[in-house]
Amino acid sequence: MGTDGEQVVPESSQTAVQYELDPTFANSRREAIVIFFCWFVAMCWAVPYCYFNGYNIADPAEIPTTFGIPSWIIWGIGAPWLAADLFTTWFCFCFMKDDELGIAGDEEHLQENQGGEE
Amino acid sequence: MLNSLPVLLGQSQSGNAVLVTFLIYIVAVFVIAGLSNKLLQNRNFLSEYFLGSRGLGVWAFALTLAATSSSGGSFMGFPSKIYSHGWVLALWIGSYMVVPICVMGLLGKRINQVARTSGAITIPDVLRDRFNNVTFGLISVALIIFFMTFNLVAQFKAGSEILRTLLGPIDAFNSMVDSMPSWFSSLTSVSADYLFCLVVFGIAVIVYTTYGGFHAVVWTDVMQGIVMVVGVIIMLPLAINQATSVIGEKDSQKTGMALVTAEMAEMLPPRFGEATLSLATIATEDFAIPPGTWIWSKGEAGDQLRLFKTRKRYVIPQGTSDVTEAEVLEIVSPDDIQRAEDLLVSIQHKTTPRLSGLIVTAPQTKKYVSGADEPGAFVTAPGPHRENPDGFLPLSLAISFFFMWAISGSGQPSNMVRLMAFKDTVTLRRSIFTVALYYSAIYFPLVIIFCCARVLIPGMESEPDRIMPQIAVVLTENIGMGWLAGLLIAAPFAAVMSTVDSFLLMISSALVRDIYQRNLNPEATEAKIKKLSYIFTLVVGFGALLGAMNPPEFLQDIIVYTGSGLAAAFLAPVVYALYWPRANHQGCIAAMLGGFGTHLAMYCVGFLNGDGFTPYRLLGSDPIIVGLVASFVTGFIVTIKFPPPADSIVKKYFFKKVEG
Repeated sequence: MGTDGEQVVPESSQTAVQYELDPTFANSRREAIVIFFCWFVAMCWAVPYCYFNGYNIADPAEIPTTFGIPSWIIWGIGAPWLAADLFTTWFCFCFMKDDELGIAGDEEHLQENQGGEE
Repeated sequence: MLNSLPVLLGQSQSGNAVLVTFLIYIVAVFVIAGLSNKLLQNRNFLSEYFLGSRGLGVWAFALTLAATSSSGGSFMGFPSKIYSHGWVLALWIGSYMVVPICVMGLLGKRINQVARTSGAITIPDVLRDRFNNVTFGLISVALIIFFMTFNLVAQFKAGSEILRTLLGPIDAFNSMVDSMPSWFSSLTSVSADYLFCLVVFGIAVIVYTTYGGFHAVVWTDVMQGIVMVVGVIIMLPLAINQATSVIGEKDSQKTGMALVTAEMAEMLPPRFGEATLSLATIATEDFAIPPGTWIWSKGEAGDQLRLFKTRKRYVIPQGTSDVTEAEVLEIVSPDDIQRAEDLLVSIQHKTTPRLSGLIVTAPQTKKYVSGADEPGAFVTAPGPHRENPDGFLPLSLAISFFFMWAISGSGQPSNMVRLMAFKDTVTLRRSIFTVALYYSAIYFPLVIIFCCARVLIPGMESEPDRIMPQIAVVLTENIGMGWLAGLLIAAPFAAVMSTVDSFLLMISSALVRDIYQRNLNPEATEAKIKKLSYIFTLVVGFGALLGAMNPPEFLQDIIVYTGSGLAAAFLAPVVYALYWPRANHQGCIAAMLGGFGTHLAMYCVGFLNGDGFTPYRLLGSDPIIVGLVASFVTGFIVTIKFPPPADSIVKKYFFKKVEG
């Protein structure tokens, strides 16, 4: 059986039991790739912007401000932070899938009495 | 009898509030532990004690993860860095914009599923079962115990230091410490008040963690998380309002934070050095000079008056008139000097503080290596620095910190354990969102608050770790609500407590579950496991407490080393284990040891270069980057050199049976 494939895989011809890629794994992997990309974009926005606008300023005593905060901080950190929060909101409520996580042996008896706790 | 000078602020005025808050807080923690202990009845003991029966809901999961990640550093070290280096700390902490989604989202769903599939309770459990390899489990246990033990000692010390900082100005506390027998203070190489705080802090954490287990830790984390965010939300408007009031109408074109930033742009870093502190006459009794005392230079002919601040406590002995080689800080910004003088006048009710009878003579001070005499250093990058000519945050370190917080945070076993404890994926989604809002409400506002603190309290570079309690006192007393300082000051010890209790459980779970139950006595009864869990948690806790009585040198560096070392060792093998069906135990063990070894090598090279505990920075980057790259690359190469894992394991963790 291949270890990277997503196709339905027969276990053996005798039992005819078939397997498919676990959707929880597939969704988790897809989401992890998107998250890593998000981190990379955040770094590519924040660090270069701050480097070009916050380092080696010609006249630091007259630094431009936005909302009273140095502009390089607002557009290099504040703006991507807001964008990251918006992205996180979209990711959590529109993109991330609800998947079955399974039941561990130690929690089986709990399922009969209660559904966990908040 | 000691005579003494008034310090800058009326610290003891807030003392009662701090003491009352601390006592209420401790009582609440013990009540929570008692309630948690009841949950241990009628449930699988190990799963409940170390993992909360995998049933955490949104608030519990979100706040325990947020509070555990926000160690004492967030409310003591981070504010002191903002105060000392200015706005550049926004870039230093910038990657927190993606920390929630990275730390919880990268591994969360998958590690929770794999832990349930295998019945794992600890991280070594996950790795051992995922590859069906006992050796891998034991290696990961060894690394966790190695790193966590050092870190636990360091966190105990940090907890004691924070408590000492908070309680230090309280007379009742000092009287209690003075009344301790001499054998008590002889137990430590530091000081009696440090030991007293260590014992109080240590016993409180050990007892409630041991008695209540994971749920006690989680619920106290929730309480601590709420305390932290409420503290920040209260302080933000107060800080902006009061800082702008202090600056006044200097610039009619600017208001609010623009006024604060403009003021910071004119500030110059202070100078550090030594001086002689002299009384005008011979002291008739021992004369105490508290840390943080403002003193003017003599101002002889042609010599401009200069303002200094003491950094430690000094005593001029009876019959003498001076103390030499006192560590002092000199503030050089004209506006800072004026504000310090205004503050002294208002507190001492004197027309001028220069008549206090104490003067500084023969000062020998040094400028900052980076940012000295350069207006604007506090509002631009890389920020001023006393010793590093490249400044506080050169570009290479800025990149490193983007790795450090987001990626290295994902590789912390203490975070991974929490990811195994949430109830379902709905909880995970909502918790990521909640923590994102939570961090946004804490970290960026903290930068604003402590930039305002630069304006409100000049000269705190003398004791930067005290800036958090000090600003709480100033902000609340200025609005006539000194009692509120207690709530604000509770935040730092809440933060460090939540970190310590998590680490304590991590180590005891490694001993009880991973070593005893899974290797020595798989047939152990639940009663025996329960007894051992309590005993190990107590023993580990008191062991760390004993270690912290005489803490080793470079302790702060050890905290940094263990944090990044854990990530270098654990992130790659866990990622491979969760997401790569082809991964085998040979490759993942190699990844773990490769990351650990490479990271350690960076510190060894630094040590051999004569830099002490400062690591060698390859291309200027932090060892965490080199360690992670080595770990991922080693793991990949070794994996493909060895056969793929057994078919049954791959099916168990990556495939599911098709019904019908």
